[in-house]
This record gives sequence, C-alpha cells and structure tokens, in this order.
Amino acid sequence: MILRDLRTLRDSPQLRDRLAAEYALGTLRGGARRRFEAWLRNDPALRGVVAGWHERLAALAELDLPLTPPARVWAAIERRLDPAAIAPRTPWWQFWRSDVARPWGVLALGTSAAWLVLALSKTMPDAAPQTRQIAALSDAQSHTALVVTADTTRGRLDVRVAEEVHVPTDRTLQLWAITRTGRPRSLGILPGNRSTELALDARAIDPDVALLAISLEPKSGSPDPAGPTGPVLYRGSWARL
Amino acid sequence: MQHTDQDDQLYRLLAAVAMQDRQAFRTLYDATSAQLFGFALRALHRDDLAEEAVRDAFVSIWHAAPGYQMHLAPPLTWMVTIVRNKALHIRRRTHAGAGDGGLDIEAADGLADPSSRPAAPAQLSPDARALARCMETLASRQRQAIGMAYLHGLSHAEVAERLDLPVGTVKTWIRRGLVRLRDCLAQREAS
Repeated sequence: MILRDLRTLRDSPQLRDRLAAEYALGTLRGGARRRFEAWLRNDPALRGVVAGWHERLAALAELDLPLTPPARVWAAIERRLDPAAIAPRTPWWQFWRSDVARPWGVLALGTSAAWLVLALSKTMPDAAPQTRQIAALSDAQSHTALVVTADTTRGRLDVRVAEEVHVPTDRTLQLWAITRTGRPRSLGILPGNRSTELALDARAIDPDVALLAISLEPKSGSPDPAGPTGPVLYRGSWARL
Repeated sequence: MQHTDQDDQLYRLLAAVAMQDRQAFRTLYDATSAQLFGFALRALHRDDLAEEAVRDAFVSIWHAAPGYQMHLAPPLTWMVTIVRNKALHIRRRTHAGAGDGGLDIEAADGLADPSSRPAAPAQLSPDARALARCMETLASRQRQAIGMAYLHGLSHAEVAERLDLPVGTVKTWIRRGLVRLRDCLAQREAS
C-alpha cells in the first residue's frame, strides 16, 4: 500500500505539489503527515518543492503593515543573550577566533596528535613517503560535505563533493586555505560545484595552513581577492596520511 | 527562486551573526523587525503577544544562525518561519490557559480577515504591491482560510468549523488560494 502510494507520488507532479503545499501550510496532519515526512527523507526534489512552498507562504508576510516594535523588545533580546558577548571587530570569516569556534580548538589538538603520530612514524624504519593529506569539510552540524585530498606526488588536489550539496545556480563554491594568522588564500572555485581535480598549489598544504574552508560566492568567485565575501559553509583541517 | 539584493544583504548579516557579531545582529534586527512584528501582530492580534513572538524569534535567530543555509531557504523566509513557529507556540499556550472567561483570540479570528492589518498601498514596496494586487483577486474568505491555517495552525476541519462550511469546501478553497498565490509570485518574478 505504502509502496503504491510512493509510486503514485513519484509519478504525479500535481500530487507532490499539493501535498508539499499542505505540509508547509500545516494542514497535512496525522498519518498522512508522518508518511509524507518519511518520503521527504529520501526525496531531495520533494524537499525542494516543500521549500518553495515555505517561501511562498512567507512572502505573504510582505503584505502586512510593517510596524516598528517598541524599544523594549530589543532591550529584552539583549538581556536574553550573554550581555558580555559584544563581538570583537575581527573579520567574520576568522571564525576560529570567536567562541563558536571552540570545537576547532579541539580539532587543532587532533591535528597535533596527528603530527605526533607522524613524528613517531618518521623515527620508524620504512615509513612511507608523506605524499597525501586529507581534509574532511563539514557544515555547522558536523555533516561532512566535501573531502579534499592533496597528492604531492602528482601535484593534484582532488575535491569530492557529496551528492546532497545543492548550490543555487547563480553561485559557486570556492575553496580557501586559511593560515594560522587568519589570511585566506584562494585555491580555486569548483566548476559546476561538483567533484573536481585542481592543480595543487603549494600554499594549500603549507604548514601554516590552519583550515580549509568552502565559501559560497558569486559565479566567478569572490570579488575580493583578500578573502571570502559569502558565508563559509564548510570547514575542516588537514590530516596527514 | 531568484536571489535579490535584500537576500544578499540579509545573508551577509546572518553570516556575521553566526560569528556572534552583535552589531550585525542589531543591523539585522533594524532591517527586518518591523516586517516581522507586523506579521506577528496578524498572527496574534495582540501587541504584547506579538512583541513576545518577535523577541523569542530573534533570540532563536541569534542561536540558530550558524546552522542557517541559504540553499535551503532565503533569509527572510527562514526568519518568517521562525516567527510563525513562535507565534503558534504562544497561541497554543494562551489557548490552553484561557478557559471560558479568558483571552478569546478565536473571536477575533472569526471576524478578522487574515489581512486585517493590510498595509496602505503606499507603504508597500512595488514588489509587495504587485503581490497584493494579485492576491486581491482571491475571495476574502479564501484568504481568511489560508491565514487561519498558516498563522493559527488550524486544521482543515477546524477552519471549516470556524467558518461554518463543509470541510470539502474549505479544502478546495485553500488549494485554489495556494495555486493563486503561486501564480501571483511567478507573475511577479517574470516581470
């Protein structure tokens, strides 16, 4: 029964659209809602249809009379947030300097541990030549979205992009190496935003590289040569193999 | 959907907020709170409750900004959705505690058009004006039915009961209204 429903759902754009709209509106209830949510998990295109309806319904908010809330609303918001946390004026993409970057401190520690392993392995005979480095780049929820491998023997940088990464058609993903002093170096944009191989720039694997990051940029890449202009979506650091 | 300059601006602000930049957060609040407060008022019909919804929404926005991803929803859609969830939560709470002599938001719903606080045309952006004109071709009770479902979290049956109509009629109205909304927005994007 469920299988037949599923087939019907795949084959009928009208039904998909109707259910997605009711789901976003909130009128799809009970078992129907739960079944729809199960389909959503395995159907990225259907998630896109739902996102479209969320966007349309939110557009109705434009029709409301804008009304500035009283000043006490902002005061209450400020009280609810940590009153001490006025952000330093560092560029926002230097995220590892802020408190939200704490997990990166842990990662940096992990990298140190990797260095220790490397140092130990170098003292051992027959250690393989160090030709490969790998970095897993994750989003804020720690879902890995890209894997970057540097092959120094071949001079190639292999970038694998996970299937579920979707980029707006007018945007492009740009890869950066960010140094310990916070200086970003562009390693290139990902053509078509899919898996690709780039020429290995020695600056990508320089020991002073603290992080690799992917930012979302206009089609031809960041207009600012000094760093990302769009938000950093994914980040990660090198591990030596 | 297309990206607008406003999307880009809000997107950058959200990226900065994700890095706990308080000044960017204030700029984001200044840029969006009036629209969101107007929306919350339509959902809740009471200033104090609408203020609470906007306050709670911005606290959530501050904490959730690092997880925001533009390819899933444009910034304002994301923020409107958060305000809507806060408003629905507040409605459920006030209703649960209301009792017979308590707050009766529902009475207001029965009378009010969901766009009971429509902006004067001059106060809308040209974009919103085009949308408003297009949506005006929808019967006011159709708009009301959509508003009751979206803003008040009511089911088809609950909307039908409040409007004293058969459920089938309400379902059809809502469906036609949503299709109309889609056409209006597509028309706006094309122009």
